[in-house]
Amino acid sequence: MSEQRSFEDLQRELDEIVTRLERGDVPVDDAIALFKRGEELYKECVARLQGAELQIEELVPRDPAT
Amino acid sequence: MRKVEHIVYGDRKVFTVSAFNRGIGMHLGRLPPVWVEGEVTELRRNDAWANVFLTLKDPKTGACLSVTIARRTFDRLALELVEGETVHVAGRAEIYELKGELGLRASTIERLGLGDHLVALERLKRSLAAEGLFAPERKRRLPRVPRAVGILTGVDAAARGDLVATIRARFPATTLVVREARVQGKGAARAIVAALAELTAREDVDVVVLARGGGSFEDLLPFSDETVVRAVASSRVPVVSAVGHEQDTPLCDLAADARAATPTAAGALVVPDLRELELALDATRRRLDLALRSQVERARSRLARQGERLRAAPRLILERRRAALDRSGARLQTLSPLATLGRGYAIVRAGGDVLRAAGDTRPGDLIDVQLAAGSLDATVREVHAK
Repeated sequence: MSEQRSFEDLQRELDEIVTRLERGDVPVDDAIALFKRGEELYKECVARLQGAELQIEELVPRDPAT
Repeated sequence: MRKVEHIVYGDRKVFTVSAFNRGIGMHLGRLPPVWVEGEVTELRRNDAWANVFLTLKDPKTGACLSVTIARRTFDRLALELVEGETVHVAGRAEIYELKGELGLRASTIERLGLGDHLVALERLKRSLAAEGLFAPERKRRLPRVPRAVGILTGVDAAARGDLVATIRARFPATTLVVREARVQGKGAARAIVAALAELTAREDVDVVVLARGGGSFEDLLPFSDETVVRAVASSRVPVVSAVGHEQDTPLCDLAADARAATPTAAGALVVPDLRELELALDATRRRLDLALRSQVERARSRLARQGERLRAAPRLILERRRAALDRSGARLQTLSPLATLGRGYAIVRAGGDVLRAAGDTRPGDLIDVQLAAGSLDATVREVHAK
């Protein structure tokens, strides 16, 4: 899974998968594939939240007078 | 503070001059801070001194008041006061112990003539509003979970500490990109615009907070500068304005996508609460599990029904055939002569042939009568031929 994708993006995809599964009109094979993808997304989301330390970066002014 | 001691001569309490001055000073120190208006005279400032001294003069009566202000505070104000200007000085009464002189220990000085500033500000506000810069429909939704939060703040600002602490407590899974800038005095507007541009140039910065604590009307003026207001309005990402205190409304507040009364409130606006987010994620996962399980359950029970129908099929065919056979048997029964005998009819034979007409026999002939049960050998007594 790409690091570039935002947390919100991942969470939105997870929600869409759950909604599709809940509608119950997905063939079983597809449902299992969707579930696996959902699990991946969930784990990725949790991993991003857990053990994260606040990163603080200082931007150095390009123009020292500002 | 040292205790004010007195000397006792018999029944008389006597204070030394310095004890008296100190005692009065302690009393003065308990008075609340006040604003004093007057004209600046005798302004004395020296790089070697810790304080700047000036005298405030009442233009009507000529009454004077000595004012002392910390040199660093005075320099930060960058007022460039000239003698004779009318100012407002905020401070507390104090006494100069050595001389017993009353004075005012100033915490800040504001130049009067804010009226002109206010008029210009109101005019700018109206023209920018007419342009639609403050329109509610221009406001953008803040990202719920920003990848990085840009923080534009003054140098060593307390506002920054509050903001960082709030974000760390709520949602440490993000990055803060801090850009310090000169936020008051000369060149501040240009510095703020440059800092905002540098922050929004970062691809991962999803929202920017302008964090500037309280300050005098003049201190906050750069945040009402037209270039700053326009930069905020046209920023690539949403901007949260946490400038000044509740009662202040710098124009950048109106152009920003959201306004926060304090840096702490701004922190709560720009990042979600980690625990709430985790709870929501867990709930989503339970729904995911449940959805799959019920999907599989449905498929399984459908399969079970199909299996039953499949197994039932041969038996069904047999049963159908049997029923058909039973119906045929029943029909056969009704057609059988034996069944007719059952209803009381009889078959009469003479010499092996079935008799159909009385005239085929003569009296004395032997006939055989077959009944439903058993048979009779009989003799014809009389013939009634038709």
